[in-house]
Amino acid sequence: MPDFLETTVDKFTFKVAKDRYYTGEGVWAKSEGKRVRMGLSDFLQQRSGDVAFAEVKPVGTLVGVGDEIAVIETIKVNVSLASPVHGVVAETNPAMATSPEGINQDPYGAGWLGDLEATDWEADRLRLLDAESYFRLMKSQAEEEAKKL
Amino acid sequence: MKHDRRIVIVPCSGIGKAYGTVSREAAYAVTLDLRPADSQLVALSLLVLGDEAARAAVAGSPAVTIDGCKLACATKMVKESGGTVAQEVAVLDVYRRYKQFKPQGIAELNEGGQQLAHAMAKEIAATVDALRESERGAADA
Repeated sequence: MPDFLETTVDKFTFKVAKDRYYTGEGVWAKSEGKRVRMGLSDFLQQRSGDVAFAEVKPVGTLVGVGDEIAVIETIKVNVSLASPVHGVVAETNPAMATSPEGINQDPYGAGWLGDLEATDWEADRLRLLDAESYFRLMKSQAEEEAKKL
Repeated sequence: MKHDRRIVIVPCSGIGKAYGTVSREAAYAVTLDLRPADSQLVALSLLVLGDEAARAAVAGSPAVTIDGCKLACATKMVKESGGTVAQEVAVLDVYRRYKQFKPQGIAELNEGGQQLAHAMAKEIAATVDALRESERGAADA
């Protein structure tokens, strides 16, 4: 189980797993051997709402940083998710086809979206935010959202 | 007689969400069109207010709850009001089986939302039939 950074804004509590990197939009990337696993941050899944469907690009798809890697449909919105790394989709989470609510229930674990064979993880990693940096960004985003309520 | 009890239908009362509207449209379809003699609509807001007639209705008959989100207010309020939830229906779960019916709109549902509500209503009507049959069986035994 990863350690978390945690903050409460208004009545919502958000966690950021310390053991991975993030895009500013809230997609996480975690190196696991030759592969990089990706998913949604706790803040992004809470802000997006209950997930109805999740579609990840099929195995073998070549993606660049910023290319669409998955689309989720929630009770509120459709969210296009950009790939955090260059690479090829090596595996998709089979649970997304039948129980995409895993994204809401366990965003850093069972709710992972897919694994990519990264072309150059070390180079891509430098463009991502570490957990502390994302935590600060996420907190400011959450506080801005709270002001709108 | 016990088997004359009408099945209680309690939909979500969420305002401003398409899924809440779908739940209410489905409840109207069941209680007004599909199974008017076998079901009755109880407003969630009356249960929240502690209305005696609403509490008596849910305490005296099995209930089918229709929840628009994971807060599951309808299910919780029926239980807190002393009722028995015979079937919990979550709009999101039904929508996952009818992906082609994407609900949009609030005061007025789009075509997809109306079709989803209708599909859900037919499933709930079948549940009402099964519950009524079960009640009759128990009464005749």
